[in-house]
Amino acid sequence: MSLYFVDSMTWTITVLGWFIVFVALVFLIGVFLTVPKILNWGANRDLKRKKGAEQVELKDKKVILTGETNAAIAMALHLYFNEMHDEESNVITIKEVKRRYSPWSSKVYGFNNVNFPR
Amino acid sequence: MKRFVTLLGVFAILLSLQFVGGGFEALGQVVGEGAGFQGGPLDGLMQFWSKTGFYNIEFTNVVMIGVGLFFIFLAIKYDYEPLLLVPIGTGILIGNVPFVTGNLIGIYEKGSVLNYLYFGVEKGVYPPLIFLGIGAMTDFSSLISNPKLMILGAAAQVGIFATFLGASALGFTPAEAGAIGIIGGADGPTAIFLSSKLSPHLMGAIAIAAYSYMALVPVIQPPIMRLIIPKKERLIKMKPPRAVSKTEKILFPIIGLLLTTFISPSALPLLGMLFFGNLLKESGVTERLADTARNALINIITILLGVTVGASTQADYFLTTDSLKIFGLGAVSFMVATAGGLLFARIMNLFLRKENKINPLIGAAGVSAVPDSARVVQHEGLKNDPNNHLLMHAMAPNVSGVIGSAVAAGILLAFLSQGV
Repeated sequence: MSLYFVDSMTWTITVLGWFIVFVALVFLIGVFLTVPKILNWGANRDLKRKKGAEQVELKDKKVILTGETNAAIAMALHLYFNEMHDEESNVITIKEVKRRYSPWSSKVYGFNNVNFPR
Repeated sequence: MKRFVTLLGVFAILLSLQFVGGGFEALGQVVGEGAGFQGGPLDGLMQFWSKTGFYNIEFTNVVMIGVGLFFIFLAIKYDYEPLLLVPIGTGILIGNVPFVTGNLIGIYEKGSVLNYLYFGVEKGVYPPLIFLGIGAMTDFSSLISNPKLMILGAAAQVGIFATFLGASALGFTPAEAGAIGIIGGADGPTAIFLSSKLSPHLMGAIAIAAYSYMALVPVIQPPIMRLIIPKKERLIKMKPPRAVSKTEKILFPIIGLLLTTFISPSALPLLGMLFFGNLLKESGVTERLADTARNALINIITILLGVTVGASTQADYFLTTDSLKIFGLGAVSFMVATAGGLLFARIMNLFLRKENKINPLIGAAGVSAVPDSARVVQHEGLKNDPNNHLLMHAMAPNVSGVIGSAVAAGILLAFLSQGV
C-alpha cells in the first residue's frame, strides 16, 4: 500500500469532496444563524412602534430562552392551573336512574320461593 | 424389563431389515448399478441426504454461522444495537444454511423469495425509506438552536474520504473505494445506498462492516475520546440550548432539503426522504403519516433490510480477501472519523469565547450512528462529571453527521458513477 500510487483524480475527489461537505453544512449554518434574526425582526419592530423608540432599549437584542427556562415556566403554569377548579355546571341535583323492567334483572326470580317456618 | 424387551425387539427388526429383499447384495445392486430414484428406498434416502445441509456443508458456512450466532449473542447479552444485530445475525444464519442450487432458494438466485426481498437492498429502495423514518423521529431543535455544532458533522466525514484514499491505495477501483469509504460515515442505510450504486458485488461486506461498527460504537469510541481529549476539557459545561420556535422547526427541513440537494443532487433520495419525514413530524398537521413513518414503516423496513443484508453474506460470495480488507478499512475509517470530529471540536474551542466553549467530546458524535454515538458522549461526559449532561448537545453534531454523510455519498456518487 502506498499513497504514491494513488492517481491525482483520487486526491482531487478526496480533497474536493470533503470541502464540498463542509461548504454545504457551512451554508446551512449561515442560514440558521440568520433565520431567527429574520423571524424576530418583525416582533422587535412592532415592540418599538408600540412603546416608542426611546422607551424600548433592548440591551440584549437576542431573546434567548433556554429549554430550562421554558421548563420552569411550564411547570409554574401547570401548578397554577392545577390548583384551580375546572368549569362546572353548578347544578347539584341527583339524577334519578331509571331501570326498565326486564325478567333478566327481575328481583322476583332471584328469590327462592320457599316458605319460611313460622 | 418391559422397556428392555421393547428395545430388543426394535433392534431385532432393524437387524432383520437388511435381509429383506436380498440383503447386502441388494444394497450393492441398488447403489452400485445406479438403479435410479425408483430403484429402492435407500437410493431415495441417499438422494435426500445429498440435498441436506449436513451433506453440503463447508467450513466457510460453519464460520459464517458462527459469526451470525456471535451477532445474536452480542445483541441479546450486551444489548449492542439489538434492532440491527438480531435481524442481521438471523439473516446470516439463513444465508449460510447450505443447499443445492437450482431450486430457487438462495438470495442470489433470480426469482427466489429471498431474492425478491433482496431487491430492495440491491436497488437501494430500503435506505431512503429508512431515512424517511429517521426524519420523522428526529428532533433537530438542538441543531437549530446552536447551528455552529453542525460543522462537527462535516469534520467527522474525514473518515469517509480518508478511507476512500486508503482503499484506492490498496488497489480497489475508484468506484469500489468510494463504496468502501462510506463505511466511515457510520450510517448503514447510506452505505447500502451508495454501494448498491457503485459496487453491488461488495455490498454484503460493506453493509455488514458498517452495521457491525455502528453496533460497536460504545467499544470503539471511548478509548479514542480519552486519548485525544484531556481531562480538563472533558469537564467543560456547555450553555443549555435555547428554545426553538415552531416556525424554525418547520423551516429547517424545507431549507435543508433545498440547500443540500441543490449542492449534491445525487443524495436526493436520502436527503429528500430525511427532510420529508421531518416535515411530516414538525408540520403538526400530518401526525398520522409521521407516526406511520417513524413506527410501522421503519420497523418493517428494518426487518427486511436486516434479514436480507444478513442473508447476503452467503459464504461463497462473502468470505474473500476483499471482505477482510473492507473490514480492516472500515475499522480504521471509524477511528479516523471519530478522531476527526474530536480534533475539530478542540480546534473550534480555540476560536470561541470562554462562555461559549464547547465540550470537545461532542465531536465524536459527528460520525452519524444516530443516536448511539450521542449516547456514548453522554456516558463519557457523566463519567468525568456526574452533573454534566451532554446528550442534547451531542445530538446536534450527530444529526448533522447524518446530513453530512448523505451529502458525502451524493458527492462520491456524482464523481464516481460515470466510471461504473
